Amino acid sequence: MAFVAPQVLGVIVLGVIPFIFVVWYSFNEWRPLTGQMEFIGLDNYSRLAADPTFSASIVASLLFSAGVLILNLVIAISLAVLLNRRLKGITAFRTIFFSPVVVSVVAWSVTWGFLLAPDGGLNGALELLGIDGPNWLADPSTALISLVVVQVFKGVGMNMVLFLAALQSVPEEIREAAQLDGASPWRSFWSITVPMIAPTILLTGILTTIGSLEVFAPVQLLTGGGPGNTTNVLPFFLYRTAFISQQFGYASAIGVVLFAIILALTMLQWSTRRKWVHDEV
Amino acid sequence: MRSDAASAARKRSRVTTVTLYVLLVAVSFPFLYPTLWMFFSSFKPANEIFLQPPTLLPREWTLDGFVQVFTAQPFLQQYGNSMYIAVIVTVSSILLSAMAGYAFARIRFPLRNSAFVLMLAAMMVPVEVTIIPIFTAVNAMGLNDTHWPLIILPIFGPTSVVSVFIFRQHFLSFPRDYEEAARLDGVSRAGVFFRIALPLATPAIAAVGIMAFLRSFNMYFEALIFLRTPEKFTLGLAITRYQDFYGEQMWNTQLGAASLTVIPILVVFLIAQKQFVQGLAQTGLKG
Amino acid sequence: MRATRSRVAAITLTGVLAVSLTACAAGGESGESGPVDLTMALWSSNEDHLALLTQIGDAYVAEHGDEVASITFEPVTNPDYVAGLTTQIAGGDVPDLAWIPEASGPEFVDSGILHNVGDTLETTEGYALDDILPAALAPWQDEAGGVYAYPFSNSPFALYVNKDLLAAAGQPDVTALVGTPDYTWHTVTDIAAATAGATGSVGLNIPTFNPTNWSAVTMLGNAWGAAPWSADGKTCEFSSPEMIDYLTWYQEQMTRGAIPPVSGNAAPAAFASGDVAFSVAQLSQSGSLDDTFEWSFLPLPAGPEGYHPIVGQAGVSVLERSAHTEQAAGFLAYLTNPENAELLAQFFPPPRESLLNVEVLSQAAPKLSPEEIQSAIIDVVPEATVKPQNAVLSQFTDAVRAGLDPVWSGGDVETAVTGICEQISPILEG
Repeated sequence: MAFVAPQVLGVIVLGVIPFIFVVWYSFNEWRPLTGQMEFIGLDNYSRLAADPTFSASIVASLLFSAGVLILNLVIAISLAVLLNRRLKGITAFRTIFFSPVVVSVVAWSVTWGFLLAPDGGLNGALELLGIDGPNWLADPSTALISLVVVQVFKGVGMNMVLFLAALQSVPEEIREAAQLDGASPWRSFWSITVPMIAPTILLTGILTTIGSLEVFAPVQLLTGGGPGNTTNVLPFFLYRTAFISQQFGYASAIGVVLFAIILALTMLQWSTRRKWVHDEV
Repeated sequence: MRSDAASAARKRSRVTTVTLYVLLVAVSFPFLYPTLWMFFSSFKPANEIFLQPPTLLPREWTLDGFVQVFTAQPFLQQYGNSMYIAVIVTVSSILLSAMAGYAFARIRFPLRNSAFVLMLAAMMVPVEVTIIPIFTAVNAMGLNDTHWPLIILPIFGPTSVVSVFIFRQHFLSFPRDYEEAARLDGVSRAGVFFRIALPLATPAIAAVGIMAFLRSFNMYFEALIFLRTPEKFTLGLAITRYQDFYGEQMWNTQLGAASLTVIPILVVFLIAQKQFVQGLAQTGLKG
Repeated sequence: MRATRSRVAAITLTGVLAVSLTACAAGGESGESGPVDLTMALWSSNEDHLALLTQIGDAYVAEHGDEVASITFEPVTNPDYVAGLTTQIAGGDVPDLAWIPEASGPEFVDSGILHNVGDTLETTEGYALDDILPAALAPWQDEAGGVYAYPFSNSPFALYVNKDLLAAAGQPDVTALVGTPDYTWHTVTDIAAATAGATGSVGLNIPTFNPTNWSAVTMLGNAWGAAPWSADGKTCEFSSPEMIDYLTWYQEQMTRGAIPPVSGNAAPAAFASGDVAFSVAQLSQSGSLDDTFEWSFLPLPAGPEGYHPIVGQAGVSVLERSAHTEQAAGFLAYLTNPENAELLAQFFPPPRESLLNVEVLSQAAPKLSPEEIQSAIIDVVPEATVKPQNAVLSQFTDAVRAGLDPVWSGGDVETAVTGICEQISPILEG
């Protein structure tokens, strides 16, 4: 008991109990600067249901997460496969792909702001290829995907390392045996490698989903939720509601919904594990 | 015949190797360019950063940005703050989450499964959601503008659950034989953990350690909420606080400070990446 | 046994959270006697700002040691100042004084967050409340004449011109046009478009503008007679013909390259880079300029409805929830008296008429010529209006931001502004 007590208690005190408070706030109208707090029952939730910004915000969050999840896992696995070999200078490449993980998210976002500007570095490069690039962050059709890209390149290095680790534990003999049997690399990837790294896919998938649903800084620094509400993801909407509109109760209701979404998506991924993950994680 | 086939294969493999390098270099670009731009821009005069389209190398090299990094704020002290906090967080995280992970994997105790599910659920509560009640409590304890919340939150808070999870997976996949033998010899549970299980858990320790260090070192939101005195700032916060007389951001200085925070960690990763990858490979995160 | 103990611990910690919450909800009431410790929240963490304030604070403590034991100046670390202040106050950590940005002014006055310091200021010897420009003070007063802040920074918007860039593009120097009927937005944007086309630089920039800060763009509309809402703040006027005219004009300028396109929330190119022909900004921007190119600082041009100067402000107030409102008001009266206001003027343009002279203002902007200070600041400030403000601004600012986004990317103006009014009218009408 003494072994788990500090950690479990810590999580209860710093996670569970504060969350119970947030649930309580969500039944109140609370103006923080004047200190007024009034119990209003479920009014905040019925207001959410009717708020078009909120539904736009849910759409933005789900699209963003789906984009990040798919792109991140595909890139992370591909990079891991590419890098999982003895080759001169491979360490340097691993470090390069990992490097954004250690850059502060603020510096990373600011830099991408310069690169994605209408006359910025990316469009400059496209111009050399004869392509007239869009205004990435202000065009409703490209703003969200731009944020996805910024987020993916920032975090994919960590997942790449996790997959690299998983690949290194795939016994060499099995792959060689498959090769001798005439299996194409593509085929052996799907029938041997993927099942072997399935637990890692599940774990990184869950962690990446949670992380992407909590995204804040890149939105704040790059799009401010726009254009329109296309990038107004839930944590950003929550932040603006609490601190710009000064409505803590309403913002807490958004927080409760955000938690419910994260919980639901995690359970969904977790519940699929028996179908495709051999090892019980 | 055979040697022909072999040389063809070698040739083919040389071709694939070259293709591979070309591919890797191409893919490196979006990872490397922003960091390089950040690094080189810190050598630009402030005005040049805004030139459209942006250039990678400065037209005019200057160290002004870097000088201001140290003169405009107590940057070395802030560096020290971040380092000591990260070290405490890393060491405590390793110890406490190893204990909890061990207990969840090995020891039967009442409500074990419920406690574990509770932990996993708490992991999904974003800190932005719960910051007000946490701030209230921190303030009531008089710990505002101290480093305590920045130490306590990452060690015990919801983000620590990942570490517990990694250790749990590690101990689950680890053979029980040694520990059982020791138990039969009359060694206590704590003795088994500290003398046998923990020393054999180096890979998980490496993984959790690096993740905890990075989490603490990159912490921004919590620092923003709790710290007010520049002498107490941590790096993530300090970087954004380079402003001139008029409240305008000093971009070259900010980027210079950001570069200075990245380089040491990158060097450590370059040296330790093999252990890091192997560490993860031998934990429950393996395939 | 162990399980019980941990449950007890959990309950105790819940208690800590609960008690502290009650403490914050109860607010502060000064129960103690004797000298108190004051804190003032501010957005700047600049060392020179802090040094000056600390110097004034120490002088006050030396004189009034029986009332005030110490004064601490605490920068709010959050770049989003109001968000940082709100977290602090909601968590039960209420500063006694605070800097308040203009956008929050009417809202804070209206909702009773600020303490009425009118009486204290009026009765303080030598304070000369009537020296403060009426237009500058108005946003911080209520209908009953209460005064809720001192507008310590009252800074007009002006037009920076890169003369070298205009010359390089073969364009006339607009500096010569000031004071003539030709000095209009029309002329300026023509030159901006031509310069941008000829040199590949940026034409006209509004540096404080990003979509979240839409008021920086709409404020220029007053030269078209366009205002975002009625004078009493209750009726949406985004869809007025004047505002549609103005926004349509703005959109045309973006299309023809006189005004650069919006790029998300990212910082726009700085005038200081030398690659921007015109820039709308306040005098503080001059601090970042050097002599790598020749530039001038002019009053804003006229629009179809004439010339309407605008100032941006920030106030310093006493918070109603402070435990020491009296002592804090006393210090406010000292901090902003004529002598100290002159000291503050080296960083912030003062709202006091007696300080509106070239000598004082050139401390704040040593790089401006006396003529520029005279024509673009001193002549302008007394008649200038404050940037658009509204008592419920925070509740609809995001809706306007989202509603205007289509305008910046070339969408139909009328559809956009009609949609905005539909959304925000219920909020404005309260």
